Amino acid sequence: MSPEDDLKILIITTMISSYPGANTVGQARLQYSPGTFIVRVPDPVMFPEEFYLDSFAKGIDGIIIMSSGSDCPYEGAYPRLSKRVGRVYARMKEQGIDTSRLKLTTICTVCKAAFLKEIREMQQNILKAKAA
Amino acid sequence: MTETNTSALNPSGDPIRVGVYVCHCGGNISDIIDTKAVAAELAGHPNVAVSNDYMFMCSDPGQALIIDDIKANHINRVVVAACSPTLHELTFRKALHRAGLNPYLFEHVNIREQASWVHKGDHEGATRKAVRLVAAGVEKVVRQDELFPIKVGVEPHVVVVGGGVAGMSAAVALAGRGLGVTLVEKGVALGGRVADLDRVYPTEERGADLVQDLTRQVGGHSRIDVRLGSEVVGLDGHVGKFAVTVRASSVASEDQDRLVRAGAIVIATGFDHYRPAQGEHGFGESPAVITLPDFQSALRQCPASQTSLQANGRSVRSVAFIHCVGSRQIDGVHAPQADGKVNDYCSRTCCTATLHTIRQVQSRFPDVDVYDLHKDIRTYGRGHEAYYEEASRAGALFFRFPDDEPPTFAASTGGKCAGTITTRDILTWGEELEIPVDLVVLATGMVPRDIASLIDLRKLPVGADRFLQEVHPKLRPVEIGVAGILLAGACQGPMDINEACTAAQTAAVKAAILLANPTIELDPFVAVVDGERCDGCEKCLAECEYKGALTMADLQLAGATVRRAVVNPAMCVGCGACVAACPPRAVNVAGWTLDQFDAMVDAIVAEDVGALAHTECRAGVRHIEFAVISGGN
Ligand SMILES: Cc1cc2nc3c(=O)[nH]c(=O)nc-3n(C[C@H](O)[C@H](O)[C@H](O)COP(=O)(O)OP(=O)(O)OC[C@H]3O[C@@H](n4cnc5c(N)ncnc54)[C@H](O)[C@@H]3O)c2cc1C
Repeated sequence: MSPEDDLKILIITTMISSYPGANTVGQARLQYSPGTFIVRVPDPVMFPEEFYLDSFAKGIDGIIIMSSGSDCPYEGAYPRLSKRVGRVYARMKEQGIDTSRLKLTTICTVCKAAFLKEIREMQQNILKAKAA
Repeated sequence: MTETNTSALNPSGDPIRVGVYVCHCGGNISDIIDTKAVAAELAGHPNVAVSNDYMFMCSDPGQALIIDDIKANHINRVVVAACSPTLHELTFRKALHRAGLNPYLFEHVNIREQASWVHKGDHEGATRKAVRLVAAGVEKVVRQDELFPIKVGVEPHVVVVGGGVAGMSAAVALAGRGLGVTLVEKGVALGGRVADLDRVYPTEERGADLVQDLTRQVGGHSRIDVRLGSEVVGLDGHVGKFAVTVRASSVASEDQDRLVRAGAIVIATGFDHYRPAQGEHGFGESPAVITLPDFQSALRQCPASQTSLQANGRSVRSVAFIHCVGSRQIDGVHAPQADGKVNDYCSRTCCTATLHTIRQVQSRFPDVDVYDLHKDIRTYGRGHEAYYEEASRAGALFFRFPDDEPPTFAASTGGKCAGTITTRDILTWGEELEIPVDLVVLATGMVPRDIASLIDLRKLPVGADRFLQEVHPKLRPVEIGVAGILLAGACQGPMDINEACTAAQTAAVKAAILLANPTIELDPFVAVVDGERCDGCEKCLAECEYKGALTMADLQLAGATVRRAVVNPAMCVGCGACVAACPPRAVNVAGWTLDQFDAMVDAIVAEDVGALAHTECRAGVRHIEFAVISGGN
């Protein structure tokens, strides 16, 4: 087992965009590490700051929030989410948690390459942070 | 009528018994994931009463396994680990319903698209992941309450805003399905932009004839009430029961506002022509530079008997068309629009409209030299490419300019021509060319109309391109993020007549399905407030963008009057923005609560499924204020 596969990366996806995007990756039989756990939500704007901090404390190595970005069908949700993630970063710094373990990105229903790239980058970030 | 009642969401209070079913998907899953091992591990979860694997869970015998376990083994929560929920979540919910169990006491775990298909080289890793995912599904479902669709009474009437071809098509289609329609048009006549077009591609019908035909159909329907010179100035209510205030622009006073009750709204407000900036390709500096719509209008007014093309009092012997003016703009190359952004989208119709116009020039004035300057030619529709081929055969010269070097125009004084276009041409390996011309026609793109006041009435979602934004072009076309409001035509992005009318028919069919019965059932995944946890801080209200979805109300709780947040489920879109803002976690989206997500994370990080805590029953759940909108008035 490679060190990447031993990680626990939580991938938060949106029902309308990145969850179907993750399915598209599967339909194309593109491969990535099994240390990845996809959860779907109506919109990640619902998570308070504590959700991310608690997840790290519980043992989640990295969190990728795959939002719908400017395609988000909910008025005002994306700017709110991005502000909140900014506040989570500040609290991560205060608590000495490497901020590269949390990433807010946008993934569409057919963003296969971007989906894989985000996972790869997150794995590298976590392993680098662990080595430091 | 809106009534609020209070219900305990799990009245039975039975101990929680979960049934887990791991699907092989005929080998799609079981060739990679050890499905038996997954089922065996999950059997060790303290809340799991039955755990099985099976060849095809979606088959009739597969579903029968679940139904039998619900009936015979008193299973009251179900987890199926299989393909994507987008394929079969509904199939299994229906199976639960057939067995007499609330269909929402179900969790669908995706171990195919997001596990077996993407971890082919690591059977052990994929199996370990599947165990964690299914355990997370179990943890979620044990915290799941019974949910009930939200029932909303409907008004069998639709307000269509905008009387272009899209709005008119939608109105006729809706009336044809037995619904009443109020067609609100801001202008003094129906028809929109198509009324300005002479012959239209690809059918070569006259724009005026198309509009006349549709106007006749609209006028022939007793169920359609046309309000010309009018606008929507008020929009209250929710899907099934909107209250729309329509005001005639000739009437200043509010007294004569018309209140229309409607179950759905179709927005068909169309587009505006892009207006080039001063100096853009010489626009505004030389009368020899005009836009395509202006040129088309000049052609239309030019009598058939006229043998030479005239512009600005001089005869035109050469004309250059420049594509992509105001469309496919590039940051740093083009000046930004008023909002600081460039129009990076393609206006889609202008390539064919330009070539169609070139063909008209060529057939009416064969001696005129035609130059076509483009980045790309996107004649994407059926029959559109023929205009390109014909224009080329009839002698039009095509030049392809680089994305970052749009052609420039310099007017000449007293010369033989009105001026000279300078362009680099990729087709001749980057040669710089100077083309003397009498007239330059800018193929201006489409921009959204200024409908800010309409958008503000209901915070309608607008995309990065400033057009109204549909939820998803493939999964939920013509729907917008507000239930009961649908889009038709070019208000949601550049499209031609055919596409605008197709979108209008889609919107009409969706509205007709929505309003087909006296009541509609909406998904219950909206915000719910736990009246006991809510401390009335009002922080959630500040987060909610949807007017009327969250309000404060005085409620009776344990004999005392308390101020609490209350949700109107028909107005709530279930985005969850309010959830994150609530310190005591009193607000949640039903079916997607924070407690559920916390428990899922616990299961993902747990080393042993058997060590996860046992959840007793949900009978102790606090009563949740749950507004139910009852049907009929
Ligand atoms: C130069 C050019 C040439 C074209 N040629 C062709 C062609 O040959 N063939 C073809 O298929 N397509 C052509 N098109 C595309 C065609 O014009 C559009 O597809 C069509 O007009 C879209 O119709 P619509 O009803 O969506 O919008 P519109 O035609 O814009 O109609 C919208 C209507 O809504 C009304 N409205 C706006 N705001 C409000 C409000 N707030 N309240 C009430 N009413 C409101 C407007 O007054 C208008 O009547 C061309 C486009 C351009 C730019």
